[in-house]
Amino acid sequence: MSIVELNELTKYYKKTRGIKDITFSIEEGEVFGFIGPNGAGKSTTIRTLLNFIYPTSGSATIFGKDVVKHSKDIRRDIGYLPSEVNYYDDMRVMDLLVYSEKFYKKSNKPRLQILAERLDLDLTRNIEDLSFGNRKKVGIVQALFHEPRLLILDEPTGGLDPLMQNVFFELITEERKKGSTIFFSSHILSEVQRMCDRVAIIKDGELIQVESIENLIKNNFKTVILTFNEPTEANIDLAGIVQQEAEGDQIRLLYSGNIRELLNCLQQLPLQDIRIEEPSLEEVFMHHYEK
Amino acid sequence: MIFRREMKRNLKSLIIWSLILSGLVIMTLSLYPQMAADQQAINEMLEVYPEPLKKAFGMDKVNFGSLLGFYAIQVYMMTTLVGSIYAAIMASGILVKEESEKTIEFLLSKPVNRSEIIMQKLGTVVTNLLVFNIILTSTSLLGFQFADGAEYSGKVFALLAFATFLLHLTIASVSFLLSALMRKTRNIVSLSLGFVFISYFLHITAGVAEKFEFLEYVSFFKYVDAGEIIVNESIRVLFIIIMLAVIAVCISAAFLYYEKKDIAV
Repeated sequence: MSIVELNELTKYYKKTRGIKDITFSIEEGEVFGFIGPNGAGKSTTIRTLLNFIYPTSGSATIFGKDVVKHSKDIRRDIGYLPSEVNYYDDMRVMDLLVYSEKFYKKSNKPRLQILAERLDLDLTRNIEDLSFGNRKKVGIVQALFHEPRLLILDEPTGGLDPLMQNVFFELITEERKKGSTIFFSSHILSEVQRMCDRVAIIKDGELIQVESIENLIKNNFKTVILTFNEPTEANIDLAGIVQQEAEGDQIRLLYSGNIRELLNCLQQLPLQDIRIEEPSLEEVFMHHYEK
Repeated sequence: MIFRREMKRNLKSLIIWSLILSGLVIMTLSLYPQMAADQQAINEMLEVYPEPLKKAFGMDKVNFGSLLGFYAIQVYMMTTLVGSIYAAIMASGILVKEESEKTIEFLLSKPVNRSEIIMQKLGTVVTNLLVFNIILTSTSLLGFQFADGAEYSGKVFALLAFATFLLHLTIASVSFLLSALMRKTRNIVSLSLGFVFISYFLHITAGVAEKFEFLEYVSFFKYVDAGEIIVNESIRVLFIIIMLAVIAVCISAAFLYYEKKDIAV
């Protein structure tokens, strides 16, 4: 059985588009990425699944239950981490977590402690005084502690430093081993590549493609920025270069191919500097999905 | 859960408002013995008051020298008006605050229905008003001790206390509906306070001159007019029905709207 199923799910805010005809499903035990640029409709989809907002048309089910009719039932087994974490400013971290815990049948205080320790979260601090990253940690604890069947994470790593991101991915991996299904949205390609089995790609409110991660990695795009001593022209000849453009003494390449071949080729050039980066999603979309 | 949390969160303002208003009530009532002693002088002073002014504050109907008359003119105005302000501020914030501060995203991701959220918040409003009114009524009774055995009708006082509570509930229901409709707290306090003051102003206006009497049905303050209650020893049934109807309509509308509201913070 699919854990999450979206069926031509559409949401308009008055006249403006939210999402349009989104259809895909997530299988039990899967780590499913949801990727797209900002404003593509990721959060809208998630909010519809959680019934914060009502679909304009289409439908969705979680655990086989309709997300509108059985929202409360569904949310018993969901852990949700919003992209921007906002909590009551008159509470301490501990107060919030205890309040959160009271909504669920099972109580598990030791787990709360363990999670907080792993994330290096001080339970006695006032929420008001927490930084963005520390608030996110509170969000992670309240999403994970009741060991939900489905985790919905909206841009979970934003605000976390690399060390904490690692801890976070460890925690997610552990949940996965216990059999949880994980649905997480992101606009960072590498993050999705690291974790997910499959990804859905969304742009301008429409689903572009659902793809296995192997396919994404196969088209492992890199942006390569080369700096020369003097102004130059874009004339590097190598299979795998999708696009190149020169600007002053710089050439900007979008490359998808064997990294060693690229390095071999670059070795012969009179380079002053080189930068290899993750391409932005927009770049990837433009040259891959619109072919 | 939500009820307990909201009670805790609103406790401080309940205490502050109760203390301030109780203080005012006690202070005012402590002046009564002096007033009663100088009855002659006061009646002479009232003689020269312009008629409309007396009407506006209900002084044409009640005897200023009697304990309940004094209460009606000096204290009742405070408990109804100031109490309504408290009711409006408290009830208007209670739902919209979660949305404005985006904490609703936390609450709605927990296994809880929207109707449960709204029910428990409504419970908080009613409980706070009940406690608030019990404190006010007790303080008034305490203040009556200053009068040193002055006679007053317990029935009329009970009616006045009931009318105050009913008025607070009505104002709170209207504010509660506003709270369900709005998305941001920015304007809501001014909106609901504006409603209270306009109602009060209309009430005064309706009292001043006969040609404004059509305003009678417009203001909730008119419904609980102390003069009428003291003279008739009853509240008009029609007014009670209207207020109960307003409460029922506002609360049902709040439930229905909130249930279907798109909550995207």
